[in-house]
Parts: sequence; C-alpha cells; structure tokens
Amino acid sequence: MKVLIVSVFHPELIPGGAQQVAYELFEGLREVPGVAPVLLASVDSSYPALFKTGACITGFDGRPDEYLFLSQGYDFWWNRASEPRLVEAFADFLRLTVPDVVHFHHFLTYGVELLSLTRQILPHARIVFTFHEFLAICAADGHMLRRHDQTLCERASAVRCHQCFPAVPPEHFFLRERWMKAHLAAVDVFTVPSQFMQAQYTAWGLPGAKLVHVANAQTNRNLRPLPPPAPGPRNRFGFFGQMVDIKGVWLLLEAVRLLRAGGFSDFHVEINGGNLRYASEARRREIEAFMAAEAALPPEARRVTFNGAYPLERIGQRMARVDWCVVPSVWWESFGLVISEAWMFARPVIGPNAGGPAERIGDGRDGLLFEIGDARALASTIRRAATEEGLWDRLAGGIAPPAPRAAMVAQYHALYVGAQGSGAASQTT
Amino acid sequence: MNEHADDPADPVDALLPARPADFDDSLYLMLNQDVAPAVASGVFTSGFEHYARYGAKEGRRYRPDAQDSETALVVTVGPAAGPRRAAPEGGVPPMPAHRIESLRMSSGGSLLLTGWLDDATDPLIELMAEGDGWTSDLAGTALARERRRDVAEALHSGERHAHGFWAFAELGENLPRQTTCRLRFGLRSGAAVTLDVLVQPAADAAVRDAALIHLADADFHGSPQHAAIASLDGGVGAQQAAASRRISRALTVNPYVERFGPALAQPKASIVVCLYGKPEYLFLQNSLFAGGAGIGDYEFIYVCNSPELGEQVLRDARIGSLVHGIRQTVVLLSGNAGFGAANNLGASYASSGRVIAVNPDVAPLHTDWAQRHTAVVETLPQAQTSLFGVPLYYADGSLMHGGMYFENDAVPVTGPAGFIRQNLLRVEHYGKGAPPEAARFTRPRPVPAITGAFMSLRRDWFERLGGFAEDYGLGHYEDADLCLRSLALGTAPWLHDIRLYHLEGRGSARLHVHDGGTLVNRWLFSRNWGETVRTSLLGPSPAHPLLQGPEAAAPVAPRGRSKAR
Repeated sequence: MKVLIVSVFHPELIPGGAQQVAYELFEGLREVPGVAPVLLASVDSSYPALFKTGACITGFDGRPDEYLFLSQGYDFWWNRASEPRLVEAFADFLRLTVPDVVHFHHFLTYGVELLSLTRQILPHARIVFTFHEFLAICAADGHMLRRHDQTLCERASAVRCHQCFPAVPPEHFFLRERWMKAHLAAVDVFTVPSQFMQAQYTAWGLPGAKLVHVANAQTNRNLRPLPPPAPGPRNRFGFFGQMVDIKGVWLLLEAVRLLRAGGFSDFHVEINGGNLRYASEARRREIEAFMAAEAALPPEARRVTFNGAYPLERIGQRMARVDWCVVPSVWWESFGLVISEAWMFARPVIGPNAGGPAERIGDGRDGLLFEIGDARALASTIRRAATEEGLWDRLAGGIAPPAPRAAMVAQYHALYVGAQGSGAASQTT
Repeated sequence: MNEHADDPADPVDALLPARPADFDDSLYLMLNQDVAPAVASGVFTSGFEHYARYGAKEGRRYRPDAQDSETALVVTVGPAAGPRRAAPEGGVPPMPAHRIESLRMSSGGSLLLTGWLDDATDPLIELMAEGDGWTSDLAGTALARERRRDVAEALHSGERHAHGFWAFAELGENLPRQTTCRLRFGLRSGAAVTLDVLVQPAADAAVRDAALIHLADADFHGSPQHAAIASLDGGVGAQQAAASRRISRALTVNPYVERFGPALAQPKASIVVCLYGKPEYLFLQNSLFAGGAGIGDYEFIYVCNSPELGEQVLRDARIGSLVHGIRQTVVLLSGNAGFGAANNLGASYASSGRVIAVNPDVAPLHTDWAQRHTAVVETLPQAQTSLFGVPLYYADGSLMHGGMYFENDAVPVTGPAGFIRQNLLRVEHYGKGAPPEAARFTRPRPVPAITGAFMSLRRDWFERLGGFAEDYGLGHYEDADLCLRSLALGTAPWLHDIRLYHLEGRGSARLHVHDGGTLVNRWLFSRNWGETVRTSLLGPSPAHPLLQGPEAAAPVAPRGRSKAR
C-alpha cells in the first residue's frame, strides 16, 4: 500500500505541531510491513534557496521518499492555490506516485481545492484528512476566537463571522463555508486529535460517521529518564512552544506580575520558545518590555528566564530545569503536543479549562486546570502548585505515559485499509 | 504643429526634456494665448519649446481638465453675442450670464456638455453644436436641465429655476478629431451667443459614464429620483441608450476566447455567467456547481466585462477545469459591455440548445439542481420551458425571488407649467424575504417576468427574441424587457421549483456610475413598456391571458435524493 502524506510544511524547515505529527506518521509508517509512505511537505518563501527555477515539487536534501512542494501565490483569504502550474504539478505528482491513500495534514499552503483535484485524478484512492485546528470553519486563522474581544467562539455562522470581520458581508462567510465543504466532500475519512474537535466539526455539518478521533503521538524522547527532582519546593515552571498570541506567553507574564504584586516571589518561570516575531505588534512589545525590565533587575530578583527556541532533541534538558509545564493557551488548543512532551518527562501540566488541554488533563489527577484567559486564576494556580505540600508528587504520580507513536500509526493504518470511517467519498451535507 | 520642434537633430530641442505623448502644440497655444505672439514672432520655435523652458515650471497646462473654467475653455466668442450683460445693440437683448464647465467628446462620437445659464426669465430655445462636417441640435434632442444651488445663490436668484444644463449626444461615428467645438445658444428673446469651446478628448465609455455620474449627482427642485428620470425625456435618455448600444457592440466585436477542460459531445445546457469586478465568483461557482448530479452534462461560459481581471480569470478557469474536469469557455472583453451584450455574446459560444443566464452570485441550494433542471426541460411542455426561472434564496434562508411583477408609480414632476404626471414602472419580486417554503411564491406557474439572475431559455427562442436588449447599458431591466418581449410573442415566462441561492448584489462591483445607469434604464424600460404593462400586466395578479393558464400538474420529481449543501 502506497500512502502519500501531504503535510503543511516540513517540521525541520518550519516547526509546528501539524507538520510534526505528519512527519511522525510518515516515519512510523515506514516500520509497517507492506506500507510504502511518501512525504510531500510544503515550504514557503522563508526558504528562497530551496526554490528551483521552473520547479514546483522537488526532492528534499537527498532523502528517499521525501519531497518538497514549493508553495507560491497561496491565497490565504480563500485558502486556495492561485498558480495553475502548482496545481498541474500536484496532479502530475499524483499520477507519478499513484498512491492508494492520500492523507492530507492540512490544506494550508496547498489549497483546499486540491482535495477535489485528488479525487479527480485518483477516483479510487482513499483520501484521509486530518484537521489540526479550525481553519475550515473559521476565517480568523482557524482559532475560533472572537476578534473583537478575544473570547472563545462556540460556533461559526455567516452573521457571527461578519461580526469578526465587519467590513466583509455575511454572504462571504456563507460562500466560504460552502467552498470548504464542496472540497471536503472529496474526503473519505476525517480525523481530529481531540473529541471536542470531533464535536465541533460534527456541529459544523461534517458527517459524524466520517469523523474519527485519532490522538496525536510522538516518538518518546525521554530515552534517559530524568533523575527525581531535588528535595524542596516544586516551584519551577516552564513554558514550551511558540511565543505567538494564542499560546498565551503574555498571560503567563501577566500572572508573574500579579504574583509579584501580591508579594509572592518564591518561584521561577522558564520561557522556552521562539517566533516572537509572529506575535501581534502589541503583544510583542509587551513581551519585549517585560524581558527588558527583567534583565534590568539584579539576578536574585529575576523570576523569569527567556531561554529561546530549542530543537526537539534538546527538550529533555529544558524539561529537567522545571517541575511544572504551563500551557497558558488562550484559544481552544486542538490537542497540545507539549502536554504529551511534559508527560514523557513526568511533568504535571497546568493548563486552561477549555479545548484539548481540558480534555486531556485531569484536574487534580495529573495536572491542574485554570479558567482560560484569566491571569489571576493562573497566578493563583501557580502559587498553589509552588506551595502546596505533596501536590506535585501526587500529580506526577498520576501521570500516565502518553500513547506511543506506534498506536497512532496503527490507528491510521486501520483507516487506510477501511477498517474505520466511512467507505467511498460521498457528498458532504 | 511645428515641424521644427519634432526634429531630433535640432540643437535647441535636443536639450529639452522629453515631449509628452499627448502634447498638442496648437492646444497649448489656445490654452496659453499669451504665448502665441512669442511663438509667432520667433522668440520660441514652438509652443513645446516654451512649455519645456518655462511653461512646465510655471504650472501651465497643455491640455484642458475637468475643472476648466469658461475663461480657459472658450477660445473665441462669436460676434453676434458680445460680452455678457453687454448693452443692447440694435434691439437685440443682451445674453444673460452663462458658463461652459466642460465639453468632452469621444472618438466614437459621444458628446457631453455641462454648464449653466441664467435663463429663468428668458428661456433657452436653441443650443446647436457644430464641428468639422457636423451639426447637432442639442436643445431639441439631447438636453437636460438641473438645479444649481450655487448658481442661484451667486445670481441672487429667487426663481425656482433649473439653471444648470447638460447635454449628451451621439454625433455619429468616424468624426474627425477636433480640438474645438462651436456652440450657439439662442434664447426666446433673440439673445444669442456663439462660443468656440475647447474639447476634452475622452474614451467612449468614459464620456458615457461621465454623463451617467452627472445624472446620478444632479440636483432637482422636485423628488430627486423621479425628477432625474423625467429630465431624460429631453432626449438625453434616448441618446444614452444609443451610446450604450454602440459601445456594447464595439466591445463585443473582437473578444479573446479560450476554452478549458474536455469538450462535451452533446451538452444539455450552457451556463452563461457575466463577471464584473469580482473574479472570485468563477472559482466559487466552479466548485459549488461541479460535482452535483447531472451537472456533467452542462458546460460553463464566463464572459468577463473587466479586462483588468482577464489574466486571473484565465488562470482560475484553467485550475477550475483541472480540479473539476468541467468544460468552460472564457470570453474576455476589453471593457464593460453590460449585462445584455455580454450574455448575448456568451450565448453565441454555447454548444447546446439551451442557455441558462446565471449571475455570478448564484449557487445551488440542492446539489442535484442540474438533474432537476434537465427533468423539467425534458418532461414539461415546451410552452412552459422556453423561458423559465426558479425560486432563489438569500443566504439567510429566506426567499429572494419567486418570479417578478410590475407596478406603476404615478409621480408628480415639476414642469414649467406646474406638475406633470409621470408614470414610472417598478419591477418587484414575488415573495422577497418570505419564509422559504411559501408555496404561493415557489409553486410552478406562469409569471409576468423572472430575474436575469437565473434564466433558462431554449436557445432558438432566445435567438428569436433577439437576445437581451443591448441599450440598457449599465443597470438593470434587461431581464424584464426580455420577458415582456417573450409575452408579446405569445410565450409566458414560467417559474419552476428548482431552488438556488442568489446573494443579490454581491457578485459584481457596483460603482457610482451604475446609479446613473439605473435611472436611465428605468426611464427606458418605462418608456418602452409602460403602456403594455398598464394595459394588462399591472400588479401581482395581472389580467394578461397568458398568465391565467393552467399551472403545472405536479412538481417534477427529482431523480435522485436531494441534498442541501
């Protein structure tokens, strides 16, 4: 069975959860007898040297079965390809590789209409599509956050989306939904990494029988288990991930300010992550001002350390420096790979009480939940975590190791052979 | 033109900056009459030399602009006229205050003149325009008046008078290009003036559109919309229709045509869509229409009225045909030919015996709409399918269209001798905003008219009707006009219950010029059809015999299960 994995970006070029999961799957499928995976991962203009004149799809760094889709002219408003050459190249790639299964991890950088194209070129192939967030539903970057007040959005509609984009009439969003569904109709099976996403997409109108929950999984990177933490308070907190608005670094820093203002200073926060340049201007300035103010303090007064980005292979060293992992995300957070990573290293997670974290973290069992977006609630939770005797040991002891990558690969493999999900593609209602 | 100035070897000109492509020596000297003696006496070899050395730095113009005052526009004043408010000579009264504000002419022969005249007590009865080999009686065939508050205030006029005037005339094609036009104004008292006025050259559509914008912006003493339409009775309306017809025909003579996707052996219908300003509707419709039951038998024809979008439309059509395997033809026009002409042209590329004129912002409500449409065409009597429309829905789910009917607005318009009763037709939709299942509006039946947003026509009937009228230019009413012609020839339009969405007004760019176009078209439609409608087609339950016929026995059963998107 030949499986083509179509991934938004290559994780070694542009890091991100969706591409990381796609690559884990690609590698995992190589170990499955009878399966021949091929990876097509996109790259954008952030790597201009990888673009070869006249080429639309090329190899990647001499690696067998890995190809790069050189995305150009992507229409982010409609999420579509605007270059016929790229569409033709994708069609040719399908004809050349003739996969039995085409598994899309996102349509971003390709165009959602390539789903219909795939059905057109390969009428009998099984098309699997994994949602990593809500871009099919939500034009506001797929975050389902109301743009005027940054509150969580429960459902999309033509008028509600118009409220987020007052200059755009409701009819646009009416058409956008139909545009998406017209192409998603080519898909045989949809997968989502969390059950709440399954509910959201079902409520949006995708057939429930086609929606399957497949949890994300990764290679276990805790090859040398960390030594037990030294005796003393469990007051070291770590943030891991992108420093973009929705990941909520700003909320964590606000909580730090509140703790200080409340006279509590027996804690330390380590920020591990990059891509601050992709944060909004206001948040970026806020974070930079915090960093500058922190750096101006004498070392003994500093409570926050900014460690910068890290390669995944080095996550063990970063995890060793903290007792708790904080996930301050202010959006639905579809799954939260960092939760799995923290659990690999037996670090309890403090996360928001919504979306993927709320589904995965057992409050008081293996972690703590706080009211999403509420800096005071987060500050209070941090203070409790740092001071409550025996809490860390109890929660760390309650952590179940995350599901191994092989389990995810097996579940996808079952979908490929049709053991789960619906059969042939049918019209989406 | 001074030959010397164009000689590249000339040592003086060689030092001068590049000559603008539209620089005309004689026009420059007309606009800068103080320069002419210096050129005549040899101080400068040409007007251009003066412009290059001094004129440009001094901010002198070498072409007239829209804001030109009469001082700059009027080159010479005829001997009969004398200065404004001059003393009477030989019993001829003086010409009252007046001003020419713009005079535009196109190479195709459209003329637009604007200005004002203090003729409240001594009315204008003659306005003649004259050029090289032509004359035009503007007062008799192409003049409209408008209120000018600024003029009335400047003149301290207490009269309820329309001081402003504008003329729009079709002078005929192939006129020699000219830099001036002679205008003669004559008043009832015998006062007169002859003016040689500088012509601002402009493209055909630009002159027509400027006239429409002028109309849309015009001020009146009475109800703005009704008075604006009434002002077209002076000839401007008919001239506008003639100009639109001519411009549309010129634009459709030599289109660029490209076909995409596999040809169909015998398509059952040809969907013709006219794009204007919103290219995304091509790929949206491709995706929303493709894939449904029965659509594989249909071809698509997109006519693009926006030349600047041509490249994108061709790209998107290529992608659309690749992605969906559909057959589509793209017809690019070099300008906006209007709804009627563009659809007529699109229909001429149809390979099937049925044309479906569809607006870009129409999308299926049921994926099997094409199958239902084919069933209607193949199972119902020809009289019910020669021309038919469908219920259309807003995106909010309510009904948008269940057929169209006509109302007559009798409105009072201020005239020289008091109020004049003016009859204007109004086109209404049955069931606009009604609940979606309002059978009263969605049931199959003959109706006075259907919207052009979705209009299914037997091709031979469409051709016998002569297609859509092309003199409506920019605006609406082509659909109602076609339906009334069909009724006049004995076939009523029908409504059949095949449901689609129509996101009215979203599928094309609406500009200010369309506001003027809508006024002209309502005037034209009322003039062409007013009597017919008032005789037998007025109101939602008209007495017309063809609309009293039996209704369809039963809705056509769809062949497949309907699924809403």
